[in-house]
Amino acid sequence: MKPRMSLLLCLSVGVATALPAVAHHSFPAQYDINKPVTLTGKVTKVEWTNPHIFIYVDVADDKGSVVNWAFEMGGPNSLIRQGWKRDSLKPEDTVTIEGSLARDGTHLVNARTVAVDGKKLFAGSQGGEAPAK
Amino acid sequence: MPCLNSHRRATVALVSVALAILCSTAALPAAAQWVGYPTAGVPRKADGSVDMAGPVPRLPDGKPDFSGIWTAGNPAKPKEGGDKAGNGNDIGSSRYMANMGADMKDGLPYQPWLIPIVKERTANLALDDPHIRCLPDFFLRAYGLPHMLKFVHTPGILVVLDEMNAGYRQVFTDARALPDSPTPAWQGYSSAKWFGDTLIIDTIGTRDDSWIDWNGSVITEAAKIREEMRRVDFGHLEIKVTVDDPKAYTKPWTVTLKQRIVVDAELIDEVCLENEQFVKRMGLEAKDKSSAK
Repeated sequence: MKPRMSLLLCLSVGVATALPAVAHHSFPAQYDINKPVTLTGKVTKVEWTNPHIFIYVDVADDKGSVVNWAFEMGGPNSLIRQGWKRDSLKPEDTVTIEGSLARDGTHLVNARTVAVDGKKLFAGSQGGEAPAK
Repeated sequence: MPCLNSHRRATVALVSVALAILCSTAALPAAAQWVGYPTAGVPRKADGSVDMAGPVPRLPDGKPDFSGIWTAGNPAKPKEGGDKAGNGNDIGSSRYMANMGADMKDGLPYQPWLIPIVKERTANLALDDPHIRCLPDFFLRAYGLPHMLKFVHTPGILVVLDEMNAGYRQVFTDARALPDSPTPAWQGYSSAKWFGDTLIIDTIGTRDDSWIDWNGSVITEAAKIREEMRRVDFGHLEIKVTVDDPKAYTKPWTVTLKQRIVVDAELIDEVCLENEQFVKRMGLEAKDKSSAK
């Protein structure tokens, strides 16, 4: 079984169920849960790094202008435990990502799910939950 | 030439053994890394699930063995893991992560100077948090954060490895005397002794302004911390903590922190400085430099 298919089989069930919401900083300080966004484009770079993975995606707008967006995900240890591998996403992959926009208006999104090959994967990030008070 | 013949025979034997090992290794299927490798010595029920109420493992000297991977968990609270063993894929945090005084009627008994500081830190969503700057988490805080702790327990020492930032804490279990004038350290200096099956850990030598929750509550160099740690059963660790820090608090306070066991999992790198971007993107670098002056 190819790694990609194995990953998809592992993660395609119950994407939105109670998976860990792990972050090392405050979600609401940086992102706005009331500004959800879904963007589709081609992966240009994957930073498989701690404390959070970043992927960069070229997204075309209605007028055809292309903007490179940054998507923050969970950490490698969290995603490895869910079946991700460092090469699960590669440059040139077409992805659709759901998440929340950054409050500062930059092209930055906190990714909640990543769809590749038509399957939604948990992105391992907070999904908008603030630390419990 | 008996010596040469003997040498040649030994060489042939060594090469044979090496080839045998190489062939046997090559024949093995590719093994999983970190994830899903079965933890040894886990009591299980007939359905294969972990028997959380199983017997407490023991050290060679008969004392409870706290070894294992632990994460925040409270059997009575499903949001804090409930009563199931963790598998590394369901680690959570406790309510004490945000507020160490969550169960106290009037909250933590802050000294007056600390009240506005905690208020500001809570209001600005912990932008000044040392955790965000990739500094070590103090052990009281680590018990509630969503990162795994690995306890390595021998009769002479209890070592706690923190998955976050490859951190560690040493608890000397030889009941050594605490120093009169300790040099402050990120985890303080801890000495422990047994009282029955409870390990009594006393810690001093902590640093000023060591955060203990997201709200920004702290302990100082004046803190004396006692942990009464016991392994209730196979799956649960209970740590009754008493903090006596007259510099930060008007009176001593106590909280009981609970942990649940994690099996079939291992620690995996989470070294924050590798590519930390929050501080830079939030424009906090200039503020940090200004505060350092």
